[in-house]
Amino acid sequence: MSPQPTTPHQIRRRMAATTPVLLALLLLAFVLAATLLGDRATARMAAETLIRVTLVVGFWIFAGNSGVISFGHAAFACLGAYTSAWLTLQPAMKTLLLPGLPGFLAQAHWPVLPAALAAGLLAAALALISGAAILRLSGIAASIATFAFLAMVNTIWANWTPVTGGTSSVVGLARYVSPWVALGWAVAAILAAALHAASASGLALRASREDEVAAAASGIDRYRHRLLAYTVSAFFCGVGGALMGHFIGVINPDSFYLSLTFLMLAMLVMGGIGSLSGAVVGVLAVSLAVEALVRLEKGVTLGTTTFALPPGSQEILIALAMILVLVFRPAGLLAGREIMLPARWVTGRGTSNQ
Amino acid sequence: MKYTTSLLALLALAAPVQAEDITIGFAIAKSGWMEAYDTPAATAAKIRIDEINAAGGLLGQQIKVVEADTRTDRAESAKAGLDVLDQGAQMMVVSCDYDFGAPAALVAEGEGMNSFFLCAEDVKAGIQGVGPNSFSSSVLAPVQGATMAEWAHAKRNARTAYVLEDTFIEYNKGICTGFDWMFPTLEGASIVGSDTFKNDDASIASQITRIKALGAEPDVIMLCSVMPGAAAAVRQIRAAGINSLILNGSAVDGSYWLDATPGLSGFVLPVQGSIHGDDPRPEVETFNAAYEAKTGARPASQYAYPGYVLIDLWAKAVERAGSVDGAAVTAELEKMQDEPTAFGPRSFSAELHHQNTALMQIVEITDGKPARVDEWRISQPVPMDVLLGK
Amino acid sequence: MSLQILFDALSLGGIYAIAALGIALIFGVMKLVNFAHGQFIACSVFALILPSADAVAVLGLGALPAGLLIPAILLFGAGLAVLAEAFVFRPLRNASPVALMVASFALGILLQNLLLVTYGGRPKAISLWPELGQPVRLLSAEIPLLQLFVIGAVGVILAGLALMLKRTRIGLEMRAAAEDFGMARLLGVRANRVISGAFALSGALAAVVALVLVAQTGVADVRMGGQIMLVAFIATVMGGMGSLPGAVAAGLALGAVSALLQAFLPPEARPFRDAFLYGLVILVLLFRPQGLFASASAKPRV
Repeated sequence: MSPQPTTPHQIRRRMAATTPVLLALLLLAFVLAATLLGDRATARMAAETLIRVTLVVGFWIFAGNSGVISFGHAAFACLGAYTSAWLTLQPAMKTLLLPGLPGFLAQAHWPVLPAALAAGLLAAALALISGAAILRLSGIAASIATFAFLAMVNTIWANWTPVTGGTSSVVGLARYVSPWVALGWAVAAILAAALHAASASGLALRASREDEVAAAASGIDRYRHRLLAYTVSAFFCGVGGALMGHFIGVINPDSFYLSLTFLMLAMLVMGGIGSLSGAVVGVLAVSLAVEALVRLEKGVTLGTTTFALPPGSQEILIALAMILVLVFRPAGLLAGREIMLPARWVTGRGTSNQ
Repeated sequence: MKYTTSLLALLALAAPVQAEDITIGFAIAKSGWMEAYDTPAATAAKIRIDEINAAGGLLGQQIKVVEADTRTDRAESAKAGLDVLDQGAQMMVVSCDYDFGAPAALVAEGEGMNSFFLCAEDVKAGIQGVGPNSFSSSVLAPVQGATMAEWAHAKRNARTAYVLEDTFIEYNKGICTGFDWMFPTLEGASIVGSDTFKNDDASIASQITRIKALGAEPDVIMLCSVMPGAAAAVRQIRAAGINSLILNGSAVDGSYWLDATPGLSGFVLPVQGSIHGDDPRPEVETFNAAYEAKTGARPASQYAYPGYVLIDLWAKAVERAGSVDGAAVTAELEKMQDEPTAFGPRSFSAELHHQNTALMQIVEITDGKPARVDEWRISQPVPMDVLLGK
Repeated sequence: MSLQILFDALSLGGIYAIAALGIALIFGVMKLVNFAHGQFIACSVFALILPSADAVAVLGLGALPAGLLIPAILLFGAGLAVLAEAFVFRPLRNASPVALMVASFALGILLQNLLLVTYGGRPKAISLWPELGQPVRLLSAEIPLLQLFVIGAVGVILAGLALMLKRTRIGLEMRAAAEDFGMARLLGVRANRVISGAFALSGALAAVVALVLVAQTGVADVRMGGQIMLVAFIATVMGGMGSLPGAVAAGLALGAVSALLQAFLPPEARPFRDAFLYGLVILVLLFRPQGLFASASAKPRV
């Protein structure tokens, strides 16, 4: 047993430690509800949502802590998905579809877990290299540079046919991503994000987000901390991309371009970019709202009448809802707060001493 | 009419067990941009289903249709596949495009069930990209490119060709692959240059400047592109005063885009059947009339036809196999060699669930009016290693 | 040949410059990176035809004679942008730039799906001013009349806009706001008037891009405008966010570089044209992080 926390700071730290646990439990409850109560399509929706949690939490590690909006994270998901495909596909299939792969990759036939780790690591390596240049820029210039980076990666992927298959989809990925696999990675991403946020580097980064000049005056090397967050963040986006590939079974550069970028960004901002809980809640809220509207479009029977939205109205309504949320809660649903246990629970005394 | 349907529906409800029906699941786009391509082909498929039902059904049972919307989204496509499965589908019809159809087709494949792409023309929409029970009844993109090469050489004396490829989607690359394979093998023919552009380029002036820099205007320009980029490219090519014969694939069939270049002449494309009322085969016009009766308008492009053909072929195979079991029907489909259909003979084999050669109608646009001018079947099927891009 | 390339570069660069100007105007007055600009362009294109999901498009506004059509479409674009400002961006005026950007993105999705529902997913053909579709000889080059028209239109618009910004009161206020909005307000510039004015102008510029695009390509597609918008953003940043001449210069430069890359890259490398273009953008940003023409508001203040 650790000693009773006494100072407000200790209590606060302990409360913060409950955040990842609560978020993990929330996701667990979500998966249980979806798999026990719903049909197969609901289970797939749950898996898809948790893959998005992995991606968006990964994205948050950089964007949330640094305050810099990156448009480049879909590129890391793209690299991750293709890395996993290169490593796990049948070698015979690769000589057929991807004749330009180097010998080692062409022969590789890895199990899925090491391949997912490799996907994350390679994405992190790309982030380290590209970030070393891009993150020297500040604010909007850095954002646009990541945009240019995404467009570059997409152009290369769509045309480097011998290695990526070009615009032709890569097929035959083992579809192993169940809601439970996705839950595992989503929880891993949440834990990593919480650890990073509580680390000295994460704190320093947030300090520089709040006040660049003051942080620099206190000796914080913003560039180094940003680069670290960018790299860790890319790892989970890479893994998320690999999961997406193994969830659908077919990958194409087009699925890792603007629509994914904006989906990730929209979920993050809807939940609130200021907190980890915001990232998770944003994904859940948007995914559930989309699912509900999709079901309404299919038609819901109330008594004797069937009520159905016209086709295509889901996208319109979700966009309207996003605008309304932003108008009424510009800082997102959670507005920068974390989900955590109240102080009196973590002090273990039944009452708060503050 | 409305009374009869509701009466029929009542009867259907009243009938003791309707598990006797054969159920076909359509996991297709009913919203999003793919909808414009999926709906005509799905309508054509339903026309064939109605015909079969009216003639006594399949294996003595009526065919029932269930549907789910893929929303033009890859992940939703897989969910739509599961959805029609849960509604009792025994065969699955999936979206026109490989990328948007494959996730649903993979679901069908996982159940050992047959799946048919509505009109995919990528070799992967079949054994190579889904599995042994997946088919497409359309004609592969490289066949379209090769048909253009051989026909233009034989009938329009084309000796020099310029290839302009739009890198937007795989279909475009397939057209160019077929053309690049066929054209240089022909007597005295050579490709004098090639270039690429992107479908959404605001201007292709630089590409046109390169064509104009050639010593002589090429006999033909093989334009491997789809709408809207194809119409934009044609307008800009003609505006620059280049009058070469322009060739394209089936994807630009239809007259809806011709306003982009008023008075266009010298534009040729291959199709599976003519929508313009001048197809020499009476069955094609019969279908066009049936389509008009059902929807109120004639087909806007040839992409309705593969939907009709796929149900036709599958139903024949089911009759021969005596069941809807995926493997048994696949075996019967693979025995089909030049199986006659309203839109020309179709073949499948254990290696390829696609058409690597086909009798195509040649449509030429003159003074802004499209008309069928000829028909052509390539002298040899496109070989497997060309299809796979090796 | 070389003269021809110059015209190619100018006509592409001109389109980018006008689009970049539309984005820079709004960024200047409210720090909004407007992701709906591409949809403003697409909506202006579709305004030319009657709403219908049929394959064949029937001209609506587009059937008017040019003298009426051009002002009508410019008004449409301006009206759309002003409405967007009033209903979406005004309530968000004090939100963070990120929230603003996401809101504009949501608005873009909204508009795109409205177009999709109203007009269907199939691209449509629009025959606008077919008389422009013929080549003319100019010195050593044979130029499509269309290209001359595009270059001419861009020139006229830029000159007109420059005059307006320099000579009129609203123009002066906009330039002041783009330099330093806070200071401008303190000096008596009315925020609502300037912001609405900037949106109207930006929407009209989107309509100009729409007209040029339609004249050039003859098609309408719900996804059109997106690619131009991306290039225009990059041009806006490279020009120095908020600097209007900078945006124009960078837009012209990007168009020119793109045309030159297409002309001089070896055939195997040509599909990778945009990768080279964006690589150059990153390099330029690394050497001039504040853009080529930094405005005062782009610099961090202590």
